[in-house]
Formats: sequence, structure tokens, C-alpha cells
Amino acid sequence: MGWRQFKAMVRKDVVSELRTRETVVSMFLFVVLAMIVFHYAFTVSGGGRLSFYTGGMLWVVFVFGALLGLNRSFAHEKDDGCLDGLLLCPVDRMTIYLAKMTANLIFLGAIQVVAVPVFALFFASGRIATHLPAFLALVVLADLGIAALGTLLATITMNTRSRDLLLPIVFLPLVIPLLIAAASGTSALLSGAAGAPSVLGRLAFLLVYDGVFLVLAYGTYDVAIGE
Amino acid sequence: MQSATTVAAGSDQSVARPAAPRLATTGAILAAAAALLAAGVLVGFWIAPTDASTLGFSQKIFYIHAPIAETALLAYGVAFVAAILYLRRGDARYDRLGVAAVRLGLLFSALVMITGVVWGRAAWGVWWAWEPRLTTFLLACLLYSGYFVLRGSVDDEARRATYGALFAIIAFVDVPITFFATRFLPAGLHPVVIGPSGSGMDYRDLIAFVAGLAGMTLLFVGLLRVELGIESLHEQLRELKYRLGR
Repeated sequence: MGWRQFKAMVRKDVVSELRTRETVVSMFLFVVLAMIVFHYAFTVSGGGRLSFYTGGMLWVVFVFGALLGLNRSFAHEKDDGCLDGLLLCPVDRMTIYLAKMTANLIFLGAIQVVAVPVFALFFASGRIATHLPAFLALVVLADLGIAALGTLLATITMNTRSRDLLLPIVFLPLVIPLLIAAASGTSALLSGAAGAPSVLGRLAFLLVYDGVFLVLAYGTYDVAIGE
Repeated sequence: MQSATTVAAGSDQSVARPAAPRLATTGAILAAAAALLAAGVLVGFWIAPTDASTLGFSQKIFYIHAPIAETALLAYGVAFVAAILYLRRGDARYDRLGVAAVRLGLLFSALVMITGVVWGRAAWGVWWAWEPRLTTFLLACLLYSGYFVLRGSVDDEARRATYGALFAIIAFVDVPITFFATRFLPAGLHPVVIGPSGSGMDYRDLIAFVAGLAGMTLLFVGLLRVELGIESLHEQLRELKYRLGR
């Protein structure tokens, strides 16, 4: 793997995003809007406490927000003919994958830096701060899984007729195990009731999940991105 | 059909026909499957003792439900192996095998859901329980339906096969992960029939179960051959239409 090429490709994605800001801003607005939608959807019975649902809400919001970014991540490449350029470069296909994955990870992380405090303010006042290291570990591992799987699937769906429509259909069922682990881990942290072992179990599961999809991508990316 | 064959045979190029499975063998396999399934039901319903626990008579559906579930997983396994072989060798036969296996896997998964819902109603008093194994099958159904949506939205034939194979591999790896993840949720209701301490089954139960399992597996093999036969006929028809310039 070429480290220089990897850095150049990540830089290309970040710079082009910084110039247009269209993906990250839309993702962020979507995430905050979704939180507000959740608030109104779940507090119909008046004064109900949402702490029971917070872990699930947080990760549903991030998974759907990530979908927006993933859909965009190859749209530019494909529509502006940049992908052909990338494929013509003397670069390992896996380097392209890792660079695109890292860019997606950076965008998702950038959203979360702002969205998690907003979420904590809305739904979990102060409780995230008390378990910050464990929560950060959950976020990092879950994000890595979302980016690893999402980038692989976005590569496959970008060459199909109904790519924007197709990605959620294939991505969501595959991401549900990650959603279960991340959501139940976050809920356990926020409720404070469950001990550290249950969170450690989720972290180990997420680590395995990330590893599995990274290995799958390593084995199949040459074919996935095409000739 | 007769005239089309004559025209095709009359041209210079030879028609590349995918080998169709022999119909007589398929018939024999399906007959054996029917006999085994009937035997399994006979032994299970009339000879094996009725379950002593609260499940009672409703436990009998186990002889059908569990073999169907295992056959569905077998079908996905076949699709997984076919996908790897397709990606390694690029032979369209493996693609056809993969499609046929996923289609049958979906059929069997749907049957798992139906029998599971019926059993759930009898055993737990609810039509639907968010129970790990049932939930995993529901997700597998949705996942493998996505396989056909994905294939349907790719025009190029080779690319369609490649993406289908990639997706079959990813999906097959995901099914056990999903099953494991559902364990993080509050405990399920599913009876553990064959646990670490042996099966705890009466030998008559075991006969009914093994007959059901063997019968269902043979049914799958038979149906797979039928599917492949149909696919190969489609292929020949396409070829002939192309020759006739339509």
C-alpha cells in the first residue's frame, strides 16, 4: 500500500469537501432534524422520559446520516469521471478503498463532534461526560464498521442504475448487528445500570465486526471497483 | 420451438448450451424427498410420544420447522460457495447456481417465518416475538431480497453476476454475525433442543427429525436442479432468439 497515494487521496476528498461543504452540512442538518423528529415522535404521552431510548436514537440517527454521506462519496467520482482517473493511477485498489473509507470516517467523525454534544444537551444531560472514554471507544469502533461496510457497498452500488435507492436496501440489513451492539452499549453506559463487562462485550463484538468487513473488503475490492 | 431449433441447428456456429441437469435424476431425488418427508411426518405425528412439557402437540411442528431452517442456511451456504467459485473462475454456471440457491434460500426462509409464527402462537401465545433466531431469519429474508434488487439494477451481464457474487459473500458472512448480535438483546424464548448436554430426544423423535432433515435437504437438491434446468432452457431460448435476429 502506498502511504503517499493514500494521503493524497484522503486530502483530495477533504479539500473538495471543504470547498463545497455540501455533504457534511447536509449530514449535520439531517442528524439534528432527525433528533427533533425523534423527540416529537416519542414524547406523545406527555412528559415521558426518553432515556430508555437514547442509545438507539443516537445510532439510528448516525447510521441514517452516514447513509447520506456514503451515497455522495462516490457520486462525484462517478459523475465527474474522477473514478476513471483514480483507476488509471498506478495505485493499489485497496489503497483507494482505505482512502475513501478514511474520508467517510472523517466526515462522520466531524458530524459527531458537533452532534453528540447537541444530543447530550437534548436527551442525556451530562451522562455522556461521566463515561467519556468508554463512549468514545464505542463511537470509534462503530464508525469504523459503518465506514468499512458502507464504503464497500457504496462502491458496488455506484455502478448500478438505482444507486441512491439501492444503498440503503443493502446497507441497512447488514449494519443491524452493529446497530444492536452500539445502541445497547450506549444505552448501558447512559443508564449507568449495567456494569463495565457488558460494554466490553459490545466493544469486542464491534472490533470483530470491523475486522470481518475490512478483511472482506481486502479480499473483494479489486472485483468490486471493477476494471 | 421445433422450427427454431431447426434454424439454429442449420447455422454454422454451434449453440453453447449450458448443461441441463437430467430430468429423470431430478424426479428420483424429488420422489425420495417426498417419501422421506412423509415418513418423517408419519413417525413424528403418530409414533413419537407427544411432548410432556407445556409445548404439547404443538411441538410436532419442530419436525418441519427445524429442517426447513437448516435447509435455508444450506441454500445460502451453497450460494456462498458458488459466489466464491464464480469470482475465482468466472464461469457463468456458478452464477446460475448462486441465483438458484438464493431464490430457494428465500423460499425456505419464508417458510421458516411462517412455521415459526404458527409455532410461536401455539407455544408462547404471541404471533410474533422478537426472538434471536426468528429475527435473524427475518433479516436474512430482507438481506437476500436485496440480492435480487441489486441484480435487477445492473444491466451488464458479467457485472451483474460479479456484484451478485460479492453480495452473496457479504450476506452469508453477515448472517451468523446478526444471530450473535441479537444475543445482546434481552433473553429469547426459543427452546434449545440440541444443547451441549445432548439432544434429550426420544429415539422416535430423532428418527422423525432426521427423516425430515434428509427429506428437506433432498427437496432442496431436487428443486435446485429444476431451477438450473429452467435457467438453462432460458439460456437456450435467448440464444435461439438472438440467432433468429429478434
